[in-house]
Amino acid sequence: MNQFTKKTNPAEAEPGTEPQKTHWVAGLIVKMAMMMFVIFIAFCARVHLNDKTEQLAREKARILEEIREKRTEIQTLVAKRESLRSWDNINKKINQYNLALRAVNPSQVRYMKRFEGQVAAPSQYGGDTRVADTSAGAALTSGGIQ
Amino acid sequence: MTLFRSMAIRMALVYILLICGFGYVARVLYDVQIARHGELFEKAQHTYTTRIETHGTRGEIFDFGGSLLVGNIPTMDIVGDPANIFILNGKDKDKTETECRLIADFFEKYCENVSSDEVFRRLSRRTFTTTDANGEKVERDCHYAVIATGVKYETAKMLRDKVKELSFHGVSFTSSYRRNYPKDTMLSNILGLTNFSADKFVPVQGIERSLNAAMTATSGSMVYERARNGRPVTFTNSSSEPTLDGYDIYLTIREPLQAIVEEELDHMCERVKPHAAWAILVDPKTGDVLAAAQRPTFNPNDRATMTPESSANRLSELAIEPGSIMKPFVVSYALDRGFVTPNSIVDCEQGVWKYAGRLLHDTHNVGKVSVTEVIKQSSNIGTAKISVMMGAKNLDNALRSFGFGQKTGIQLKPETSGIFRPLEKWDSLSVSRFCIGQGIAVSPLQLARAYCMIANGGYKVDLRIVDRIERGDDIRVMPVVRETKSIFTNPTTKKMITDMMIGVTEAGGTCTEAAIEGFHVAGKTGTAQKVINGAYSNRYYASFVGFVPAEDPKFVLLVTCDDPTVGSRYGGSASGPTFKAIAERALKYMYVQPQMSREEWLAERSAAQKALHERKVREDALVQARREARDRQLKEQQAKESAKKTGTTVASRRTTSSPSKSTTIRR
Repeated sequence: MNQFTKKTNPAEAEPGTEPQKTHWVAGLIVKMAMMMFVIFIAFCARVHLNDKTEQLAREKARILEEIREKRTEIQTLVAKRESLRSWDNINKKINQYNLALRAVNPSQVRYMKRFEGQVAAPSQYGGDTRVADTSAGAALTSGGIQ
Repeated sequence: MTLFRSMAIRMALVYILLICGFGYVARVLYDVQIARHGELFEKAQHTYTTRIETHGTRGEIFDFGGSLLVGNIPTMDIVGDPANIFILNGKDKDKTETECRLIADFFEKYCENVSSDEVFRRLSRRTFTTTDANGEKVERDCHYAVIATGVKYETAKMLRDKVKELSFHGVSFTSSYRRNYPKDTMLSNILGLTNFSADKFVPVQGIERSLNAAMTATSGSMVYERARNGRPVTFTNSSSEPTLDGYDIYLTIREPLQAIVEEELDHMCERVKPHAAWAILVDPKTGDVLAAAQRPTFNPNDRATMTPESSANRLSELAIEPGSIMKPFVVSYALDRGFVTPNSIVDCEQGVWKYAGRLLHDTHNVGKVSVTEVIKQSSNIGTAKISVMMGAKNLDNALRSFGFGQKTGIQLKPETSGIFRPLEKWDSLSVSRFCIGQGIAVSPLQLARAYCMIANGGYKVDLRIVDRIERGDDIRVMPVVRETKSIFTNPTTKKMITDMMIGVTEAGGTCTEAAIEGFHVAGKTGTAQKVINGAYSNRYYASFVGFVPAEDPKFVLLVTCDDPTVGSRYGGSASGPTFKAIAERALKYMYVQPQMSREEWLAERSAAQKALHERKVREDALVQARREARDRQLKEQQAKESAKKTGTTVASRRTTSSPSKSTTIRR
């Protein structure tokens, strides 16, 4: 039995007493107001959260845009670096500044042991330890890789 | 009462009106929410839901060590919105026109290949006519006018700031990217190129084309509900399909080696001024193409340099008669199957031999020599005789086992398999001509692969130019395809043929120019007449192919010169020095230690020179002795004949003249 039924039960309520009736209405109003207040708070919280989310989303979009811009700048710089690294360009510079450079004599080179105990020339690094994907070759030439 | 009644009637009327009103609202609600829900919901969704397509980037191409060969360079496309410009200028025609002119002049000033008049024309076109679904012509607002495409990122960024500053309406910048070839001409014929059409890359040739499927990015999409400012509303439903970038391709090419080959090929072109030239460097153990260059070539960044001649990929698409560089295949097979030994004597008929009714010539007149000398001196007749001894079937087996008539397995399309007739279509001459590289056409790649087989001891290996493909953590390594069984049945065959080929670069060989200090170089020259309009011409393919160090080859190198116009037309003189230059530098790059010291090498060379000299002296002495014997014989014969003649004269004179004269004659 709740408070409302308890108060409105004719058996328990004292007949003809006005102040008790007023008390009952006031209680109801207070409770309603409290409920409304809770709903209002929840509503405000939701609005605030939505606003916050929106704000964060905008911030995220801005940062993503910044990242994209930076990536684009990096890509531009990579392209520039690669063209500067081309042998044609290096050769031009060697001639331009008359640099006394020559290829190393093989007798000047000593091989170093790698940690795995393999001995390999720098040009062959990476060729020994990898596992070939036998399916990749056929798929690649037939255009099946996606 | 009357008042009360009229109140009741009015109340009833109000109730009825209210009921009618609510009824109408209910009906409308029913219509909107239930009857036409699907249609209206779709309409609303269409208004506030946005679907944007996201594009990944095309895979890039790197060399083995990760040096970028083909990349993507960020650019921007600048577009105008003519309808919007008109609206934002208060639909004032004069004002709009002035603004369009300002925009057009501005972009002409800062962008390359942009014409102010053209941009003005495009921006002034506010509407366009199109045909709707019912087939009726309708006029629509034009919201898209291209101002400039592929503008460099830095320029575009500066322009964007200026546009903002100048408050130009209806101009927007969209990000895009273009293919960039940072190494310009390097490897361009192999890498190929793409065109950009309708927001898509269209591969034209080379690796860009043959590996297009792997490099192409998968487009994704994002569906979201947008706010008034166009941004996605975060707390509503949204869905997205991921975008996948294309695979990056890592080639087996080593950029430093490629640079060496390209540079030396340029030097050769300056020296002999050929019509075309190419060189290919291959690892004989794995079939990895380490470098591949050709001339003429083109710069993919500058399409003006592109012609059918310069853009052709001769290495995989061209099939030519190889000439004498075919000889080691036939001889090695004959050695392997026991038809001959290195010391077997072959009569090279002093440079002219008739077979099947046709004459076959040698460049140098060679007599009876060993098989080793046949290779060393590149005797056509000697090789043809060995081939005839083997028979057509064995020759066919020999050449097919070295992979002629088949593709090399390289990941390049298109690739020719050459021209090699099946055995049943051979004529009587074939057996004496195929063995010296006539009547058969092969590609440079096939030749390189066949020499790899000699260099690696007879193991057939597919050529590889793609080492691996990568996308993030997804790494796929292309396998080395190498047969486990050697085509040589005799384990000494490789050594025998290698020793013969070493002789080619030693004193008395056809290409001493290719010898490298400290190393044994096994090689073979080839000078093949070009077939033009079905007939042999006076133009030649001059080739040299070999491997170094001969005993444990680090690479096979083929250098071919198409029609050298300056200097010698022979393979040894035209291509030999370039072979040497490339090989020397490549050995240094690969840190290959010399097999012997300079002194040992010089001693070996002088010993070979001495042996050759001694042999020549011996041969000369033999020739001299033969000549003397022949002269003596001739003299004796002449004497006999003259004596005979004198005898008859004396006899006749005896009858007519005095005895003193006859005495004189007898003396």
